[in-house]
Amino acid sequence: MLTKLAMTGFKNRWRDYLVLFSGLIMSSAIFYMFEALATNQSFLKANTGISLVSIIFQFGSVLLTIITLVYIGYANSFLLSMRKRDYGLFMLVGARKGKIGQLIWLETLLVGVVATLAGILFGTLLTMGISQLLINSLGLTLHHLAAWYFPAALKTLILYVGLFLLAGLFNLITLTKTPALKLLHSNDQPNRPQLKPVWQAIQIIGGTLLIAVGYWSMANLDKLQMLGIGIALVTIVMGTYFLFNAIFVGLIVWLKHFAVAHRGLNNFTLSQLSFRIHNYTKILSIVALLFALALGAITTGMGFHRQVPMMANASNAYDLALVNPTKTERDQIRALNPKTQTDYHFKVAKKAVYYQASEFNAHPFTTLNMRGKNQLAFKAVDNSAKQLQKSQYSYQLGQLQTDGNQLKAAVFLTPSAYHKLAQPEKTLTVFATKDVIANLPALKRLVKTAAKHDANYKVATNLGGRYAAYLQINSMYSGLQFMGFFLGVAFLAMLASCLMFKILSGAAADQHRYQMLDKLGTTHRQLTGAIRKEIAVLFILPGIVGVVHVLFGLQMFKFLMVTSPYTGIWLPFLIFAGLYLIYYLITVKIYQRIVLQ
Amino acid sequence: MPNTPIMTVANLHKTYGKAGSKQYEALKGIDFTVNEGEFVGIMGASGSGKTTLLNMLATLDQPTSGEVTIHQQPITHLKGNQLADFRAKEIGFIFQDFNLLETMTAYENIALPLTLQNVAMKQIKPAVENVASQLGIAEFLTNYPNELSGGQKQRVAAARALINQPAMLFGDEPTGALDSSSARELLDLFSKINREQAVSILLVTHDPFSASYCQRILFIKDGRIGQELKRGDLPRKDFYQQILDTLGTFEQ
Repeated sequence: MLTKLAMTGFKNRWRDYLVLFSGLIMSSAIFYMFEALATNQSFLKANTGISLVSIIFQFGSVLLTIITLVYIGYANSFLLSMRKRDYGLFMLVGARKGKIGQLIWLETLLVGVVATLAGILFGTLLTMGISQLLINSLGLTLHHLAAWYFPAALKTLILYVGLFLLAGLFNLITLTKTPALKLLHSNDQPNRPQLKPVWQAIQIIGGTLLIAVGYWSMANLDKLQMLGIGIALVTIVMGTYFLFNAIFVGLIVWLKHFAVAHRGLNNFTLSQLSFRIHNYTKILSIVALLFALALGAITTGMGFHRQVPMMANASNAYDLALVNPTKTERDQIRALNPKTQTDYHFKVAKKAVYYQASEFNAHPFTTLNMRGKNQLAFKAVDNSAKQLQKSQYSYQLGQLQTDGNQLKAAVFLTPSAYHKLAQPEKTLTVFATKDVIANLPALKRLVKTAAKHDANYKVATNLGGRYAAYLQINSMYSGLQFMGFFLGVAFLAMLASCLMFKILSGAAADQHRYQMLDKLGTTHRQLTGAIRKEIAVLFILPGIVGVVHVLFGLQMFKFLMVTSPYTGIWLPFLIFAGLYLIYYLITVKIYQRIVLQ
Repeated sequence: MPNTPIMTVANLHKTYGKAGSKQYEALKGIDFTVNEGEFVGIMGASGSGKTTLLNMLATLDQPTSGEVTIHQQPITHLKGNQLADFRAKEIGFIFQDFNLLETMTAYENIALPLTLQNVAMKQIKPAVENVASQLGIAEFLTNYPNELSGGQKQRVAAARALINQPAMLFGDEPTGALDSSSARELLDLFSKINREQAVSILLVTHDPFSASYCQRILFIKDGRIGQELKRGDLPRKDFYQQILDTLGTFEQ
């Protein structure tokens, strides 16, 4: 009978349960997505080649577990608040505590298992969709990527079910130890924003110190190695929480002193914020961290993405070279409208490739000479035969040769000495277009044509020049790019569902406040404006903290990236801000729809 | 005493349910006027339509037909910002369950109607303090609603309703959640405000004691005004007895 009653309660509040389920499904789906990459060792090995990445993933996994813990605690208190009244009623009509405990336990676990299973399924689909999208739009090559990865699914299931078992136990104790009457009226709890200056000062100083230590260890990752990531993880999580906790109350009290706080509904909005302060500090710290992770991941992914063509361009002055090109191939080269194009004749002996010095003097060969230690700073130098013979960069000519000729020494002969050689003469046509990236498809076709009569052109990455370098480097960095973007999207979605969950779970309680304001003669514009402002504060605060975290966190990647991780960060920041804004607008719309019916 | 009407209600009907489906007529043609400075009570049993009527008068709901005019302004077709402005400037509400915003202090709750109209902080403070001292809640201004007793909460609600100097004050069972001494204090306060500041008050109640503070009582039964009772110069105690007698016969 009681089970039937419990089911009726479930049916009556399906809307609230929908919020609960969608939040939990999203959370477990993202946890699965992350684990599908993090626990897939063969994927990590094949695609990164950097051992640190696998460690970063492990720490990321720990962080996500912490976030999940808080998130489930949150979801559980939402569930509990929904059911308190019902269970209080059951007790009033004389249900036994043991029976009620059983029901609570069962319900919590049922919600958890169903949501987690759905989440894993959804996560698999999401992994599939997002990875296809990224691979296609970024032109990546990935190996061993599996959307369905059993160990990840198992890990997700174990973590979530374990947490829900704990949550069920917690609910059991809370509900059976609380008197029935208190359960019925648990919603009207006093909550006065309290200022405790000493404790706040301690939190501010402690939080700042913790964050400083975290930033420092990220910047000194070369010395600390994986310990540094661990330190940063713990200190930044705690520091962020302390700072939010200490500053938020003070900030609202301080804002109330301004005249503008007493115009329209501003004071109402501030009071709303301070009313739920303790819930908000937790969620805001989490959102700030997720914001930093998502933005950091996307920025790094973009950094790697941007780095690939730069590295390719720094590898050689020429896009490609063809040996004895046919007429069709020459036509294809002409169609590319090359910036420079030169034919060098050569003869191949056992240990050397012989060129005619006069040709090089008439048409100097350009090498890219490194400037300083930076791999990407170079000077283009035109070399005569004599200069090239002495230059340490003459290997760039060798690279453009095919087959076994790449490692042979280049020797520049006088015409008479060259003509005496008995070997057959071949032509090496080198050319450079204005932009190798823009011409990738045409270059691909050209190599394919060449491969028809010369087996050396069958494997494009074995060739020399920018085109082949691009292909090599891109496949090398594909994994890192993919992880950056993939995790960025995953964390953004997690952040979205966290905030969404928080805001929607508070909306029901806000409904009567907004109705009251309406009765008092508040215009619709004032009401929507108040909602916009309240939610904007909740978005902006963690956003600011998240951006600061990212700016310092990028220090970690100066050891992994050739370029500075800070170059061109405005682009990912702008894209992220756009996504964040869209998400803000959606949240405002949904909230308004719930509250202002 | 000038007998200018502050509110006129003409042939008010309210039908619930869509045409074609099962309909229920809650109000079946109500006519009456309230004069400026009058203290009028509306009585009726549960389901008689008195709350429905109040909701129409206070612009919270729209009638199916008929017209309500407050301060020479027809109100039944007000919409959007006009409606909000009208509520903010012309009428004040007091509800049975207080309807205070528990996230704000008493001061902030009382000041809300003024801040909504962007009145300067300098003018708000004396206005709030003035109305608070009149209602005897000056010392509770920094408290949050959940730190106040029911009677105190209702006086905060009354202060919030009065701060705009509304043309009409509506009360929906304002003493319903109060103990008898708090109820008596609140009703005394209403009489005082009505007497000294000539605020017109319309009180909906099913409690004869609350009703005995009114000058005139309209009895509603099954969506119509069944009877009207005037206090005249009668002492409150006698009027109370008269109400009890009327109720005894009216509800039969």
